[in-house]
Amino acid sequence: MNFFKRALLNIKAKKGRTFLLILVMSAIMLFVLAGLIIQNAATTAANDAKKSAGATVTLAANRDKAFSDMKASSSTKSKPSLNLAGVEVSTAKKIGVLSNVKSYSLTTSTTANASSFDAITTSDSSQGGMGGKEMKSAASTGDLTISGVSSTASALSSNGAKITKGRGLTASDLNTKNVVIETELASTNKISTGDTITMKSTSGTKYKVKVVGIYKASSTSSANGGGPGANDPSNTIYTAYTFANTLKGSKYKGTVDSVVYTLSNPAKSADFTKAAKKLINTSKFSMSTNDSTYQSMLTPLNNIKSFAQKIVILVAVAGTIILALIVILMIRERRYEIGVLLSLGEKRWKVIAQFFVEMFMVLIVSLVVAGVGGKFVGNVIGDQLISQQTTTATISSTSSDMQGGPGGNAEGGALSGTKGGPGGSVPSGTMGQATKSEKLKNLSTTVSVKDLVELGGMGLVIIFISIMLASFGILRLEPKKILIS
Amino acid sequence: MIEIKDIAYWYENKDNPLFENVNLVFEKGKSYAIVGRSGSGKTTFLSLIAGLDKPKSGEILYEGEAINRIGLTRYRNKDVSIVFQSYNLFTYMSALENLMTAMAITGASHSGDREYAIEMLKKVGIDEETAKKNVQHLSGGQQQRVAVVRTMCCDALLVVADEPTGNLDEANTKEIIELLQDLAKSQGKCVIIVTHEPDVAQMCDVQYVLKDRQFQMID
Repeated sequence: MNFFKRALLNIKAKKGRTFLLILVMSAIMLFVLAGLIIQNAATTAANDAKKSAGATVTLAANRDKAFSDMKASSSTKSKPSLNLAGVEVSTAKKIGVLSNVKSYSLTTSTTANASSFDAITTSDSSQGGMGGKEMKSAASTGDLTISGVSSTASALSSNGAKITKGRGLTASDLNTKNVVIETELASTNKISTGDTITMKSTSGTKYKVKVVGIYKASSTSSANGGGPGANDPSNTIYTAYTFANTLKGSKYKGTVDSVVYTLSNPAKSADFTKAAKKLINTSKFSMSTNDSTYQSMLTPLNNIKSFAQKIVILVAVAGTIILALIVILMIRERRYEIGVLLSLGEKRWKVIAQFFVEMFMVLIVSLVVAGVGGKFVGNVIGDQLISQQTTTATISSTSSDMQGGPGGNAEGGALSGTKGGPGGSVPSGTMGQATKSEKLKNLSTTVSVKDLVELGGMGLVIIFISIMLASFGILRLEPKKILIS
Repeated sequence: MIEIKDIAYWYENKDNPLFENVNLVFEKGKSYAIVGRSGSGKTTFLSLIAGLDKPKSGEILYEGEAINRIGLTRYRNKDVSIVFQSYNLFTYMSALENLMTAMAITGASHSGDREYAIEMLKKVGIDEETAKKNVQHLSGGQQQRVAVVRTMCCDALLVVADEPTGNLDEANTKEIIELLQDLAKSQGKCVIIVTHEPDVAQMCDVQYVLKDRQFQMID
C-alpha cells in the first residue's frame, strides 16, 4: 500500500498543481452536480405535481352506449331520443366510501326560466346567429342554467369563480331551495342576498327560491355552444342537486348527472376505477379519469429533466476529455518518476493506483466544493430553465360536471332544440368552459447525500477513464525507454 | 551469481549489433567495471543485466535461472538495485522518504524501519536534518550518496551503476566508489559499474572493455 503514501507525498509536495487540479475538478463536479440536482428536482417536482394536481374520476352515464342504443332504436316514424341514465345517489355514496377517495361531489344540470326577474341576454355576432347575424336570446324557455351541486366550493373553484357576497352552498342546503346567483344577474335585477326570486321550470311550475349568495364568474368564462341565453355564464344559478332534480322532473329524484371523485393518491386511480366498476352497471355508466392538470405540469418538468440529463452527459463527457488531457500532460511530465518506480520493480498497476489515489483525493475536495456551490449553481440554472420553459399550461378544464351531464353538449337532430327538457342538451358545462392555468414557479433544488454519492460515482468513472487514457501510452513502454528518453 | 550466455543486442539493424556472442560471469563479493567509448553499448549492456530491457538473443541467468523466467519486474524488485548517473531519486520526497519508499517497494527486510534508514544515511555523511530535506535541496554528491544508500538498504545482491560519478567532482567520486566497493566487500554484493573514467575503473576488482562488439578483460 506504499502507493497511498507516495500519492499523499506527491499531493503535499506539488501544491500548485494540486490546487489547479482541484479547481478544474470542482468546476466539472459543480456542473455535473447542478445537472443532477436539477434532474432530481424535476423528478421530485413531477411526483409532487402528481400529488398536488391529483386526479379525479367522473362517474356519469355511458354516452357512447346511449348513442348506439338510440341509433338502434330509431325508426323513420319516431324521432330518435337519447336516453341517459342518472346516477343513483345511493350508488354514488357507496363508491364514495371506497379507499383512496378524498372527497366527491354530485352534480346535476337543467335549465329553467326567469320569472320574477330577467335573465341576461347576450348579443354575439360571432357565435350567436346564422350567417353572422346578431341574434338575441328568445328566452322563452330555459334561459337559466341550473347547476345542481352537493357543494359550491369545488364547482366554483373549478370554474374560476368565487363568492363575493353571502355564502356558498353546502351539504346543509340539500332539500332546500337556496340558490347562489351571478353578480351581473344580481346587479341587473337589483337582487341581494336574502331576497326571494321566482323561477319557472321548463314544464311551467313556478318555484320561489332564496338567494343565499352571489358569485363572480371568471372573466375567462364565456358562453359556449349553441347560442345566447342560458349559455351566458351570468345566467348560471347554483342550487342543491335535490332542487335541480325537482326542476327537471320527478323521475330524476334520487339521481344525479355525474359524480366526481377526487382521489388522495392519483397513482392508484386504476385500482379505484376497478373497484368502483364492480358497483355500477358498466353498460349504462362509465368512469373517466382526468389527470390533465398533472399532465400539463409534467411537460415542462420532463423538458427540464431531459435538459438536465443532457447537461450531465455533456459535462461528464467534456469533463472526462478535459481531465484526461490534463492527466495525460501530468503523467507525461512524470515519465521519469514512472521510470524510477519501474526500475525499482514496482508493479504497473500500483503506479496507476498511485495516480488514481492522487486524483481521488482531489475528487474528495472537489466534491466538498461542489456540494457547497452546487445548490447555488443548481438554483441559478434551474430558475433560468424554468423561465425559459413555457410552463403555463392551459388546461381546458372540462370541469367535472361538464363531462358527464346528461345530454351535455349533445348536438344534432331534435336534441339540440330541446334545451332544458328531460334528457335535454344543456349541460352545466355550458355555463362557461373555464380555463385553469397551472404554472411551475420554481424547482426545489437541494443537495442530498444521494446526489453527492451519485456525483462521487460519476467523478470516480471520470478519473478512472482519464487515468487509463493517460497511462496507456506511458505504461506500455519498457522502463529503459522511459528512463533514457 | 549472474551469467551472461551468448547474448547479442541491436537497435534497428540486426547486421550491425552493439555486441554479440557475449559470455560473461559476474560473482558475488566482487566489483566490476565496464569501460568503453561513448555509444559502444555499455549502458545498453547494463540495462540488460538490470532487467530494464531484453537481449535480442541469448539469455541472462541469475543464480542459475533465466531472468525472463523470474520475470523482469520481480527480478528488478528483488534481485537487482540500480544506481543512475542522474541519481533517479523521487524529487518530491526527502532523502529519508526516498529510502523508505524504495525499501517498501522492494519489500526489504528493514522495510518501515525509519531508524535504520537514518543510520544508513548517517554512515554516508547525511545527518538527520539533511535527510528530512527534499532531495532537490541536496548537492549532487549528497544525492548520489542517497542513491547508493538506497541500494544498500534494499536486499538485492546485484548492484548495477551506470556512470555513478559522471556528475560528481573528484572528492565525491572517490567517496561514491568507496561506498560501492564497500557494498561488494562488506555486504557480499556483486557490483557492476559502467564508467568512462579510467580512475574509477581501476578501483574495481575486475575491468572489462567493450570494444568491437566484444567484452575484453583488462589485466
